[in-house]
Amino acid sequence: MTLLIALLVGAGAGAYGFRNALRLRPQPRYLAGAAFGLLGAAVVSGATKGCAYGTDVDSIQNVIGVAIAGAAGLAAATAASSTKAARGDEPIAKQRSELRTGTYRLGWWWPWLLLLPTLIILVVFLYIPAVQTFTLSTMLVRLGAPNTIDVCLSNFTELLVPNPWMVVVLPSLSVAVIWGLGLWKQRASAGSASYNLATTLQPLGIMALLTALYFMFSGGTNGYRSIYLNTVVISAGTVLGGMVFGLAIAYLAFQKVRGIGVYRTLLIWPYAVSAPVAGILFFMMFDPTAGVIQHIFDGFGIDFPNYRESVSLARFTVIAASVWKVLGYNILFYLAGLQNVPIDQIEASVLDGASAWQRFRYIVTPSLGPITFFLLITNLTYAFFDIYGTIDYLTRGAPAGATSVAIYEIIRVGVDNRDIGRGAAQSVLLFLAVIGLTIWQFRRSEDRITYGGVG
Amino acid sequence: MAKRWLGILTVLTLLLAACGDSGTTTTVASGTGDTSASGEITDIEMWIAFADDTRLGFAEDKAAAFNAAHPEYNVVVQSFDSYNTVFEQAQLALDGGNPPEIIHFFEAATQEAIDAVDAAGDPIFKSVTAAIGGRTEILGEPVVLDDVVSAARNYYTIDGDFYSMPWNTSSAIMFVNQDMLDAAGVDIPETWADVDAACDTILAAADAPSGCITWPNHSWFIEQTLGQEGTLLANNDNGRTARATEVNVASDGMKAYFQWWKDLDASGKYLYTGVQRDWDGTNAAFQAKEVAMLIYSSSDTTVLTETGAENGFNVVAAPMPYNSDVPFEGNLIGGATLWLLNGLDTTTEDGALAFMNYFSNPENAAEWHKITGYIPITNAAVQLLKDEGWYETSPNSLVASDQLDAAANTPAARGALLGNFVSIRDVLTAAAENMLVNDGDVTTILEEAQGEAQRLLDEYNALFSN
Amino acid sequence: MSFSAGVRKQGIIRGRAWPVHVLLILVTLAIGFPLVYAALISTQGNPDIFAFKLTPGDKLAKHFDDVWVGRSLGRSMWNSTVQSVLITVAKTVLSLAAGLAFVYFRFRGKWLVFFFVLVTLMMPTEVMILALFRLVSSLGWQNTMTALVVPFAASATGAFLFRQHFSNLPSELAEAAQVDGASPIQFLTKVLIPVSWNAIGALAVIQFVYGWNMYLWPVLIISDQKSQVIQVALQNLQGIDVGLTYGPLMLAALLASIPPAIIFILLQKQFMSGFSIGADK
Repeated sequence: MTLLIALLVGAGAGAYGFRNALRLRPQPRYLAGAAFGLLGAAVVSGATKGCAYGTDVDSIQNVIGVAIAGAAGLAAATAASSTKAARGDEPIAKQRSELRTGTYRLGWWWPWLLLLPTLIILVVFLYIPAVQTFTLSTMLVRLGAPNTIDVCLSNFTELLVPNPWMVVVLPSLSVAVIWGLGLWKQRASAGSASYNLATTLQPLGIMALLTALYFMFSGGTNGYRSIYLNTVVISAGTVLGGMVFGLAIAYLAFQKVRGIGVYRTLLIWPYAVSAPVAGILFFMMFDPTAGVIQHIFDGFGIDFPNYRESVSLARFTVIAASVWKVLGYNILFYLAGLQNVPIDQIEASVLDGASAWQRFRYIVTPSLGPITFFLLITNLTYAFFDIYGTIDYLTRGAPAGATSVAIYEIIRVGVDNRDIGRGAAQSVLLFLAVIGLTIWQFRRSEDRITYGGVG
Repeated sequence: MAKRWLGILTVLTLLLAACGDSGTTTTVASGTGDTSASGEITDIEMWIAFADDTRLGFAEDKAAAFNAAHPEYNVVVQSFDSYNTVFEQAQLALDGGNPPEIIHFFEAATQEAIDAVDAAGDPIFKSVTAAIGGRTEILGEPVVLDDVVSAARNYYTIDGDFYSMPWNTSSAIMFVNQDMLDAAGVDIPETWADVDAACDTILAAADAPSGCITWPNHSWFIEQTLGQEGTLLANNDNGRTARATEVNVASDGMKAYFQWWKDLDASGKYLYTGVQRDWDGTNAAFQAKEVAMLIYSSSDTTVLTETGAENGFNVVAAPMPYNSDVPFEGNLIGGATLWLLNGLDTTTEDGALAFMNYFSNPENAAEWHKITGYIPITNAAVQLLKDEGWYETSPNSLVASDQLDAAANTPAARGALLGNFVSIRDVLTAAAENMLVNDGDVTTILEEAQGEAQRLLDEYNALFSN
Repeated sequence: MSFSAGVRKQGIIRGRAWPVHVLLILVTLAIGFPLVYAALISTQGNPDIFAFKLTPGDKLAKHFDDVWVGRSLGRSMWNSTVQSVLITVAKTVLSLAAGLAFVYFRFRGKWLVFFFVLVTLMMPTEVMILALFRLVSSLGWQNTMTALVVPFAASATGAFLFRQHFSNLPSELAEAAQVDGASPIQFLTKVLIPVSWNAIGALAVIQFVYGWNMYLWPVLIISDQKSQVIQVALQNLQGIDVGLTYGPLMLAALLASIPPAIIFILLQKQFMSGFSIGADK
């Protein structure tokens, strides 16, 4: 029964995810979406052996099972829809010409031969481990232990508040806020006051979601809420810091003064430095015994606190190291983006007597939208995953786990404590976050293509 | 122009890298150089968890010497970065069908090593006592297992069976910056109360250090304290009369220790580096004269004393301070032993046993003690060092052995044996960190930790029960 | 001199050049500081560091000896070099082949294959690292170069990059090649690759740096010191003697950053132009 609901939810989510698919009429579009949704939901249900849908488990497990199936359905359909969108991204005329000329007419096996190595590697080293991650997340597994125990979704429920209503209601509310704001914006005509208000309020949806998740995860010393908070704070700090400084410095380095090439190279090089080395360098600077920061403050007679003992300072240090690390990359892409700034508009505004700040705010910033979004995604990827190396050398998750972000916790639980099942369950959560972000990314690029609006 | 230079630089870096590569390959293979004897050469692989020059170098030297004396054998030392990695890799190697014959494994995972089974359900390791089978000599190498000092024997004997061959064994002792203590005019503290009093004096001085005492937030020090206080960590006599099924983290002894620790920290006497198991950071603080006292493993006695001298102060070792409010039982050992792989053929097994006994023969055990600070593992080695007059020139080196000899042979002072101990240790250090950093309430924190630790033990027992 | 020339010359901010220089120098110094400081530390012994000396010490040679000979840092760097080069080559070759198949062939199920590859964009290795670790270990690949390269040999990003790049090329290229009777492989090597150096260069920089900076995976799958890569080998430098040895650690961190920096600077032009092509579309 619950299995049926889960599959239906998956199909429904799929249909929703497919609503903007191109070149299809509504009815087949929704049907195709539902099919993809069903596929996604079925894969996940199969991987978890459908255990969450029985009546012998807590109702909270039913709910989570349905939610995961729905997410998988939405993910599958969005990816499918984006595939269409990506194809539709070229002019139809060109696609036709691509079909008529320049196409090889050789044995059918030729393209498969070319694609085979890629496909094999993707199946063996991405698809299979992905499915296994779901399977492992429903078990107690220890490296070297002769037995395993099936625990269904209790690895997940441990991470959530014990109240099933909170788990259902909070995310639903936040989704409703996001959806409502989106609808409002869609209904309002572009440029109207109502439209502008909706645009201004849109970040509220994300805030609502972040807050809902905060209250959804279990509190207490060992609760996942603290890990979630660390991840949000450190990711947000890294992304905001990296992008603001990146843009400011890129803007500066865009000026055509003598020797700018040298400046640019000197500014961009941290890109080549690895996350672990960034951790090591900041470890040295902030070291309470031997670091330069300590020595400088000593010079002023101030005892600079040990960053590994102060929650906020430890987070700040991790963020600082990460911002420093992503800065080169951001400057590089913002420099590339600045090449596209309409120079004639700037010339006109100079004649109009606009100030440098006004030019920056009203001409430069808008044309950087797509690059900013791209950097947002890549910086978030850094803050979610690569930051592991930085933290491992800088704080090792200290103090009291205040800098242990999601990926760090996965390794601590799954590898150091050898508790593979719980580690896998946390991996699934991170997986869901990545899927959410990717859907957002696909959706955005899709919107741009579909409506030709500014990104 | 600049590009060309960069190109040359790249090539040079890569060449250097290649040279470094070939250079080390030869040193690693040095053991095989002189085995020119006729007949089959039996390879014996030993995996150890040391990667530093001193300790890995010792093992490689001894393997080479053994190979020279026994040309029919070739002992190869493979180094890993931690105890955990060694065990994990051994398990994976077992699945792959190419496991090492000798594995270096630390004390906290003793239960897990005994419980470990391969895919077919057979034990992975074999008891060295059983393998030796009462022989006094194997391949001409005298058996030294019977002569192992009592503290190590007591720890590693389970159900009357001495399971693995001790190698590096230490105890927790205190190192003081004697110059700092002299300047403050205090004696080396013996009890917790003494530490408090000494720290008051030291911190009251004009040019006082930023802290007074530190030690790594490592569960081993907590366990040492429980041994001193005679408090059990697990039921069934600390898991020594039967498999431990209940862990007791929120005991009175534990609360007393945590409270003392918390008060020391709150009054600025204890310096917390902010990192769990931070051997390096605490050591650096001691060397940088930020604290006057360091509770540490005796394993680094030699180098700690020398480095102190380099940094311009006199290091004196003393027993670990204890809680004088309760009767004293004794400190326990720490360190690691060599485990023998199960199911080897007689030739290989005898070679492995001969090497293990050679590795800790009196001369080698004494040398090992001198270069590190791990206790001399056999009584004969202790005697040898005494005859040499070593302790007169290096009094710091005697402290750990004396402290262990003074311990009672009670379940508490022998140390706990339980499943999932490595993870349970992490629960303890996380609780301590929570207390130090977030100023948590001792009872609340320990009761939360109790739930977590018990769950870990229950799950372990469920996953390993037959 | 016309106004527009003035704007072009001075960029978007108008005014004198020297404040821009001052700001740029300050920013450059701030960004470069961690590295310069590390370079200073790498020459000093612990007593110098504790005493906060600002002049270079005399320990550089000793530290180099410690890390290069004592800790075989060169061996780790060699392992990383092999790994990064193999990953770069494999990803480039497989991505070129995939791009070729996507653009110059019609076949049944192309759409599905495309979908299949696209979905992997939302499957970062890190979220399935525990399962991947079990899988690769069960293949008996632990401590091998195979484990460091093969799971990362394919790239959805690369495949899409080349698909995009190829479909922007004039179709006359393919027609001409077919008239000449060139096989797809000849077409790829003789025609497509020579006109794609910028895209290949840009991808190569990204993949090399990706391979060189890989950390979490080798932490898990490589435990044998002899097979370890540089980023993880740095861990063993935190305690050479007893306690922290800052100097060798900093020196090793600097050495570890040289190869990707060199690759980056050598291929900078391709990298930049490879990306502005992407950004212009």
